[in-house]
Amino acid sequence: MTSAERGQPALWITGAGLVTAVGASRDATFRALVRGDRAIRKVSLFDTTGQRSTLAAEVRDVELPKGSAREAAAWSRTSAMALAAAREAIAEARLDVRGRRVGLVVGATTGGMFETEALLAELYSNPDARDALLAMLSHPLTSTGDRLSETLGPFARVRTLCSACSSGANALVVAATWLLAGDVDAVVAGGADGLCRLTFTGFNALGAIDVEPCRPFDRRRRGLSLGEGAGFVVMERASAARARSVRPIAELAGWALGAEAHHITNPEPNGDVVTNLITRAIARSGVERIDYVNAHGTATPLNDPLEAKALRRALGDALDAIPVSSSKAQIGHTLGAAGAIEAVITAMAIERGIVPPTAGLEDPDPECRLDHVPGIGRETRVRAAVSSSFGFGGMDTVLVLAEPARSEIVAERAASTRRAVVVTGAAAFVPAGLFASREAAALLGAPVAPVASIETAAIDAKLDLSRARRLDRAARMATVAVEHATRDAGISAEASRATGVVLGSAFGSVDASAGFMHRYLEKGARFASPAEFPNLVPSSPVGHVSIYLELRGPVFATADLATSGESAFAQAVELVASGEAPRVVAGAFEERSRIVERILATLFARTPEPDETRRAEGAAALVVESSESASSRGARALARVMRVVEWREAEAGALRDLAAPRDAERACVVLVRENGGVDALLDGSPWSACARHMCEAGEHEALGAIALAAAVGRVARGDADEALVVGLARGRGYAILLAAT
Amino acid sequence: MDISRLKSEIKALIVDELNLQGRDPTSIDDDAQLFGGGLGLDSLDALQLAIGIEERFGVRIPEGDEARPIFGSVSAIAAHVHASQAALRSSTQA
Repeated sequence: MTSAERGQPALWITGAGLVTAVGASRDATFRALVRGDRAIRKVSLFDTTGQRSTLAAEVRDVELPKGSAREAAAWSRTSAMALAAAREAIAEARLDVRGRRVGLVVGATTGGMFETEALLAELYSNPDARDALLAMLSHPLTSTGDRLSETLGPFARVRTLCSACSSGANALVVAATWLLAGDVDAVVAGGADGLCRLTFTGFNALGAIDVEPCRPFDRRRRGLSLGEGAGFVVMERASAARARSVRPIAELAGWALGAEAHHITNPEPNGDVVTNLITRAIARSGVERIDYVNAHGTATPLNDPLEAKALRRALGDALDAIPVSSSKAQIGHTLGAAGAIEAVITAMAIERGIVPPTAGLEDPDPECRLDHVPGIGRETRVRAAVSSSFGFGGMDTVLVLAEPARSEIVAERAASTRRAVVVTGAAAFVPAGLFASREAAALLGAPVAPVASIETAAIDAKLDLSRARRLDRAARMATVAVEHATRDAGISAEASRATGVVLGSAFGSVDASAGFMHRYLEKGARFASPAEFPNLVPSSPVGHVSIYLELRGPVFATADLATSGESAFAQAVELVASGEAPRVVAGAFEERSRIVERILATLFARTPEPDETRRAEGAAALVVESSESASSRGARALARVMRVVEWREAEAGALRDLAAPRDAERACVVLVRENGGVDALLDGSPWSACARHMCEAGEHEALGAIALAAAVGRVARGDADEALVVGLARGRGYAILLAAT
Repeated sequence: MDISRLKSEIKALIVDELNLQGRDPTSIDDDAQLFGGGLGLDSLDALQLAIGIEERFGVRIPEGDEARPIFGSVSAIAAHVHASQAALRSSTQA
């Protein structure tokens, strides 16, 4: 047995960067935190008339990268803050991004919403404003990852994810799974989120914002304060860092993620899931004691006592001697960035032997009986620490950071063996109907029906509407597809609890966000809809799916433009192969959008490409499961997942390492859509001579998931022994090899 | 507006605003407990309903504990709306 099989490679954080309201670097931020500085002030970015609270922690003087007007318009404040933090982390780690296999993971919730709001305001007064319409496509959730790739990369692979307020923490988890799998040599991972009217108005409508600067754990707390910022780390295997003579700040020792499946905004009252995650993350890390907890600590009436109770249940009497603090009283709740920013703060508490305070805490709530750190920081050695992040929809992640292990392989941690992965169920929901795996094969190469939309009544007919009333139409489509796939896979209620779900979507709820902003502009902030706001978070549909179907494994959303379905599938395969969950439902959905169609019509009126405007909608889901889990529950595998290849930039050579089909006559290539890059990709590869099938379900960004469901059906029916599913979009591509069982 | 018409309008508003698809507004009992009761409504619904009532009837629902008795039932909401509208009328006449 080699040492690698006995334990787990240590994962070192060798660089870190922060941009927060109290500092423009990690050093400036940490020193300000320890001093007790607070940056929660009256908002200057936008008008706050009519808002319940007018305070937030703003980052002043965000500098947008310079360039031509067109280039400059592509940058949002969010992306600019992300760039500064990522640059700081990369510089500290002395990482050569282009010279090695380096991945990028970005957690976010709003992307360039602040900039988009200005466009929406313009379109509100002039619906045909051409420049505003065209600029609307500049700031999807993926834009931050794309700007970082263009500026710092190319990276070997890029993932954009959203699990609301745990996005940043989940970015670090994804980085860890990539490193343990050996897919990359290093990962730049973090989160970024800028303040915007939408989140500010939405949290105000929910009554969740304190009219004074927030006071975590205080008896007088009345809610959170919003903030903005970015946090990034460079993470790599200790062996790789040593070889480069780079010193670690701390190591990511353990983690656990799961979903509450309880409510779209409220935490599960018993805190069972949070307790379980804290326990699991610590157990996984192998550390003997925890010396500090950087709490989620939002200062909402519900969160803080629940978190204190969960910590007590997980840590017992040891908690009495563990300092606990929340940085949100100083830098606000930075949403999609919070998990990453707070992980860096936690790593720095370990590095510097000082725990940051809970500023503003004067009268601790007896319901939050903890070793608080009021006012200013406290010097103490921190060997290992917990950082918790809980998101809307109950998507929770707990990280354990520790002093860097002395050895490159940590014997106390279970070896990271790769699991064989199969697909045990699939479903496609398209205008032509709802198809389970084998029937979905008909979507390959068949003439497309001239219908572009799924009838809303057909969606609703498949749901228990009393439980689905909070789901918008997109979430309903997604739920129907996921439920049908889990039925196809024969997943019991018991097995659902350990099942995760990852859904891709490129544009999310753009029409609903526009509607929310129109109402805000028309009626004022007072009349913003509290029930509608949670549905505008990109992770909302997947959260609703998790709640409706009680799926409590890892839950989050991914986005990757026209390959959003492929990115979700790749993510689910990684989670299952690395043992994070026995099964994860992967899927995608895209709803027809008046705004997107108007944009495309405006765009293609200039350069007509009729295929691009043949818009449709749909959703699909595939149950990705470890082979071991499938056989232990007696489930049949429809197909084996042999390889997932993803790349950035040019297609040529991307499939160089792919094995030839065993029998070219019995193998096929499934193309998600017509794309000029396909020939360049396949030419010279052993797959160039195989039959090609096109997915015929109209054009939209979830098409990759539909093509995957169809390809699984084709393999399961015995029409092919192997199918290579190829999805390409601007500057990115995926190839997924499926084989008969 | 007489109180029984007000109650019908509030029931229709509840069904519409809280997306209780397929629920017949007339099947909601005047005096039944609204929140934590048979309709399955929670705090998020209360926030949404407060906005809906203000928009429809021009009557503001206070925040926090004061809202609790007002949101007790359809009858209680109707009484609050009725009284607030009457107060508003007399103050504008005076």
